[in-house]
Amino acid sequence: MTVGPVERDAATAEFFDATAAGSFLLRRCPAGHFSEPPAAQCTTCASRSLRWEAARGGATLVSWAVAWARPAGGGEPQPTVLVIGELDEGPWWWSQLVDADPANLAVGQRLRIEFRRAGEEHESVPVFARA
Amino acid sequence: MIAGLGMTDLGKVYGRTPADFAAEAVRLAAGDAGLRLADIDGLLTSSGVTGGVSVDLQRDLGLTDLRLLSHMQSYGSTAAAMVQVASLAVMSGTASVVACVFADSPLQPERGAGAVYGTRRAPAGWWGLLGASGVIGANPMYALAARRHMDRYGTTTEQFGHIAVAQRSWAALNPAAQLREPITLAGHQASRWIVDPFRLLDCCLVSNGGIAVIVTTAERAASLAQPPVHVLGWAQSHPGHYLRRQPDFGLVTGAATAGPAALEMAGVTLADVDVVQLYDCYTFTVLVTLEDYGFCEKGEGGPFAASGVLGPGGKLLLNTGGGQLSGYYMWGMTPLSEAVIQARGQGGDRQAAAHDVVLVSGNGGVLDHHATLVLGSGAGAS
Repeated sequence: MTVGPVERDAATAEFFDATAAGSFLLRRCPAGHFSEPPAAQCTTCASRSLRWEAARGGATLVSWAVAWARPAGGGEPQPTVLVIGELDEGPWWWSQLVDADPANLAVGQRLRIEFRRAGEEHESVPVFARA
Repeated sequence: MIAGLGMTDLGKVYGRTPADFAAEAVRLAAGDAGLRLADIDGLLTSSGVTGGVSVDLQRDLGLTDLRLLSHMQSYGSTAAAMVQVASLAVMSGTASVVACVFADSPLQPERGAGAVYGTRRAPAGWWGLLGASGVIGANPMYALAARRHMDRYGTTTEQFGHIAVAQRSWAALNPAAQLREPITLAGHQASRWIVDPFRLLDCCLVSNGGIAVIVTTAERAASLAQPPVHVLGWAQSHPGHYLRRQPDFGLVTGAATAGPAALEMAGVTLADVDVVQLYDCYTFTVLVTLEDYGFCEKGEGGPFAASGVLGPGGKLLLNTGGGQLSGYYMWGMTPLSEAVIQARGQGGDRQAAAHDVVLVSGNGGVLDHHATLVLGSGAGAS
């Protein structure tokens, strides 16, 4: 499975501007704590003064699952590996792991963020790949 | 006191709205208690995935001059939370007869059950991004939680299977259960993957219908039609890390704090508990809740489930109606309704011989919301 279509809204506009340029933005407060991108206040100190800061792109596998679904056109069910990745900055992110062998996964594996889009007209979606 | 229980037809019951199911459930619960609708002076409503139940239910039922009316939503923990609020209301004199109702109508003819919960995909924003990433609905979120438990503690899919098999055996004894054909561990292992590590038989049903309970004072309940069920203790826990970094994700839930707190309020211990009704959206949810309540050590839920303690004739009388895996899926009303039936001693072929203390859990979101109730038959209770 590839990523699906998604449209930006006011809250995600800057995030998708960055994904189009190959960057994954986190929220960061004046004290230096990182929060996940949708955070409205710092998840550590509740500061509302958040700015965007690009993640370095490295992550570690926290958990994985394998979704089995039939392709839209029919045929045998195909696997999609879904993971929680812990970014090196701290926050967790939920997405698929591309080009993964479901039989060869382990918690703690190193990952890196990549980007995929459903089509030229759609926003670029962060995914994980094995580092 | 829980003095009334109303359950509509549950399952593949088509052509009715959630509001219609909710109204029927309240009428049935009032009738079950030996009350008239006009005796109700408090109403708490809740709805499922299709919505459609609201405080407008007052109008649908022709209830006038209510002293308590609200819609509540903490997902699968709502039913137990409603009983808590209703109990506080009758204890304080805010209201004297409070109906608590849940109804949902997600199933449609010619449409797979999985389609109801599996294909909700927001087109835009952060929710749209989650769906576009492939993380769609509850199945992958709970699967990620379960995998974490398996990785940390060595829990296996076969151990999940023991829970599914035991609950199907109970469902065979419950005329209201949707799935009553026996299954085996081999059958569980042969059932198709939904989201690995969950197979089809690890996942709950989807049902149409409505269930209501009536909460009133001890004085009022004493003169009503049914054996009163005491609400001995309660507690909630909402850890508050949904879609955020959470070291305990999949390992420890709100049950670990709410369970002991509810038992303490009731003045009982786990050793006093005769019957257990746990929220079972997935087999894994049962396993982790058993650990968090203290029926076994943390991490030992898998071996405990596989040790032969579950199912009819086992030492632990757990989800005696088949639960949401095999009975019916009415969110938190599934464990609550079976708890009321057992506490009253009305469980027929599946009735527990001892039913003085019944422990009930509710779980909502992705292990984000937890509520515990301790119910009692009155024997030995104040």
